Amino acid sequence: MSDNSHLLPYARRVDFKVARANELTGADRRLYRFLEIVPGVAAWGTLLGIVWASIYASFFAAYFIIAFAIYWVLKTIFLSYHVRYNWKRLRHHMALDWSQLISKFKYQDHYHLVIFPFYEEPQEIIDGALKGLIEANYDPKKLLVVLAAEGRAGANAIKKAKQAEELYGSQFGSFQVTVHPSDIVGEIAGKGSNVHFALRSVHDDVIVPRQIDHKNILVSIFDVDTVVYPDYFNCLIWHFMTAENPYKSAYQPVPLFTNNLWEASAVARVMAMSSTFWQMIMQERPDKAATFSSHSVSYQALYEIGYGQANVVSEDSRIYWNLLLANDGYFDVVSLSYPIAMDATTAATTWGTIKNIYKQHRRWTYGVENWCYLVYHFTKHKGIPLRRRWSIALQQGEGYWSLVTNPIMLFILGWTPIFLGSREFHETVLSYELPIMVRNLLTVAMVGLVFSSIISLSLTPPRPEGQSRFKYIVMALQWIMVPITMIVFSAIPGLDAQTRLMLGRYMGFWVTPKRVQ
Amino acid sequence: MPTEPQITGMSSRRRAVFFWGLVLVFLLVLPSMIFYTAGYRISFEDDVTSVVTTGGVYISTQSTDVEVYLDEEQIERPRLFRSAYYIQNIDSGMRRVVVQGEGIQTWVKELAVDSHIVTEASAFNLPAIPQLRPVTEFQTSTGAAVFTASSTPIELFANATTSEQFIVATTSATSTLTMNPEYEFVVSLFGTTSTSSVSVFADHVRDLDRFRFMGPDERAATTSTTSPAIIESNNMQLVTRGMELYALWQGQDQDVPYYFCVSSSSAASTSERYGAHVADAVFAQVGTTTATSTLVQVNDRLCRTQIKLDRLRQDVFLFDFFPGSSDLVLLQLEDGLYVTEIDDRAWQNTQLLYPGRDLRVIIENDVIYVKQGDQYFEVIPEIEST
Repeated sequence: MSDNSHLLPYARRVDFKVARANELTGADRRLYRFLEIVPGVAAWGTLLGIVWASIYASFFAAYFIIAFAIYWVLKTIFLSYHVRYNWKRLRHHMALDWSQLISKFKYQDHYHLVIFPFYEEPQEIIDGALKGLIEANYDPKKLLVVLAAEGRAGANAIKKAKQAEELYGSQFGSFQVTVHPSDIVGEIAGKGSNVHFALRSVHDDVIVPRQIDHKNILVSIFDVDTVVYPDYFNCLIWHFMTAENPYKSAYQPVPLFTNNLWEASAVARVMAMSSTFWQMIMQERPDKAATFSSHSVSYQALYEIGYGQANVVSEDSRIYWNLLLANDGYFDVVSLSYPIAMDATTAATTWGTIKNIYKQHRRWTYGVENWCYLVYHFTKHKGIPLRRRWSIALQQGEGYWSLVTNPIMLFILGWTPIFLGSREFHETVLSYELPIMVRNLLTVAMVGLVFSSIISLSLTPPRPEGQSRFKYIVMALQWIMVPITMIVFSAIPGLDAQTRLMLGRYMGFWVTPKRVQ
Repeated sequence: MPTEPQITGMSSRRRAVFFWGLVLVFLLVLPSMIFYTAGYRISFEDDVTSVVTTGGVYISTQSTDVEVYLDEEQIERPRLFRSAYYIQNIDSGMRRVVVQGEGIQTWVKELAVDSHIVTEASAFNLPAIPQLRPVTEFQTSTGAAVFTASSTPIELFANATTSEQFIVATTSATSTLTMNPEYEFVVSLFGTTSTSSVSVFADHVRDLDRFRFMGPDERAATTSTTSPAIIESNNMQLVTRGMELYALWQGQDQDVPYYFCVSSSSAASTSERYGAHVADAVFAQVGTTTATSTLVQVNDRLCRTQIKLDRLRQDVFLFDFFPGSSDLVLLQLEDGLYVTEIDDRAWQNTQLLYPGRDLRVIIENDVIYVKQGDQYFEVIPEIEST
């Protein structure tokens, strides 16, 4: 029997780390299964509902589409404002001397536990990540580095880790290579289970022997392609020291998928920057955010929940929801508004890139499994105020619903009354004016893309040798692809993911290939 | 150096103000957008601000090189779909639409415009000077038609122009030319297919005049009926009834083309809006039994299922659908080949395609072949775009 005494009370529940309905029994299982069905039904119901309304209630459908197009324009303004605001803050933060800012704090006894889970990524990516740590403006001896290899990746992965240890290990406070076994019962293969294993290992092998206070450790869980900007750890310490609840907060940087931006195709660049923009928006709405991809959190907080889950696909966000539930609904996301550099998704061919981006976004949008988890626990956890439970559930639900439905409604279904509408409708001014009105509103919304273009160029790394200046023009104009990328790489993979969950065809973790070899 | 960052995260108050500001904008903009798209406009006429209702007119044209006028005012050419003109913001009432262009015949229609409703019409403009493509027995190696000296078609091009180069050669020079396979095909067509030398009403006339002595021409008609009795395309039929030609709608009621329908409820207003002939056709049917009525109710409109075609008070030798259309009818009348529209609102536009009294006409694979004397040619119904 394992000792659960260090866990927070709610984290001791047997269903605290439930991943899917079939792990439960009885009424709980039925409830969870129902919740897995809801997002898919809502999305398909909306899309089919619009088609139905276009045929049988054309006037209503037309008015709804006008209202929706106006909503979209205003939403674009709202979100663009957030991006612009965060862009200013990001640039300001990048210009600050954070080492001087933190000089007033006593942080010298704090350690940064940096975990890089990896699978089959090439050596150069591992080297890049470790060099980034060494070159950071921070004492490397305060960095406890874990290179978390996957056992199922074979001896070659372990060899790479050992090679990295030989090259860079001595420069850090500690350097540990962990090898996640492939046969642990109850886990799914993926980043989450690897990190989970690494955290347990480092607890036994580093933290306990060195008697480091849990409260003095900040854990940064980084994708292995993450290269930190020089002041990342200084910035992190500053926010940790000034946070209202430092041990009850997760610290979220802005992921810039720029490591290979100049080598990536236009569609990969647009998707990479779109993801960055979404995170920039969330930086200004931390009360509505969850952790995403590479982020940092207090070790104490992770220890109190038993290190998150090893059985889910969207582990980067799930860890935040674990923390939120275990802490009775109060766990903050602190926006660092400071970047980390990562890889844009690419492949050797355009088709390969498209497939990889699609699969990556399907995995991300499978984060809808977190909504089921949240709502399930909201029905159990009466310690969280009811209003807060409703607020989070609705807001998260709306996010997943709109991600899937809005682009399709706007760019495809917006025209259905014109094609499927009744004869009576076709004879009206409304029928003729509808496409003109929607087109004009979308044109106004497209102005937001101009801002996107300008901001993305400002975040683009300097042009490497051998790259044409002409590419700047391509980078500026590539944003016209957004209506297509929103449908192909957001809405459709999202619908795919929600449909799989609805049908009980659960997804596994798909490792995004890093960088073209 | 500042002791802490100068730009803090966006405050929740600021975000809330911005959010609710946009909600307010949404609530203000939505009704105005909905009213606008439904056809409501604000009028400032005569220094009085008022809300007026408007309708629209949608004109489709066959050529992109036309000018469209609404009540003598030229309409701006559309940028995208250049053969479709959607004219907005039109007060209800009778509107005159003119579609014209250089080298083409003018199409004119008076249309009734209603508030909130878009009135549709489909214009057609045939070449002002008929366009021919000669089909000759011989052609050059480059495919140019060759007339021999004895067959130079002086009369053929008196009232027309050719879309292709042709040359005139002496009869003895034909050995250097190649045979034109299309010529053989066309000759065989006219040889095997019954053509338009006899009135389509011949049978009817024969029945009417049964008690008269027959003349030689009429005897020929009894043995060589030329046009089929019924021609159908896309649920539209062309039929002869008595001494008239009709277009009949055979499809579902709800799919009946717009020009079969009227929105007026009284004979007087229908006459005013669509013409007396339409009012007569519609209101003669009102009150008849379902079995004999050719009227159907589609939504709030009364729709006929048959329209009489204008044959310019001439005899008809051939009728068929104009190639590629089920709204236009090709008529071979006594003095030439014409195209008329089925749409009889206000009047039916009828345009001359090719003049001539001794024509034989065959439509094969949407191509109009004509034999005039010894010459064969194709009539081109549109001006080649420049």
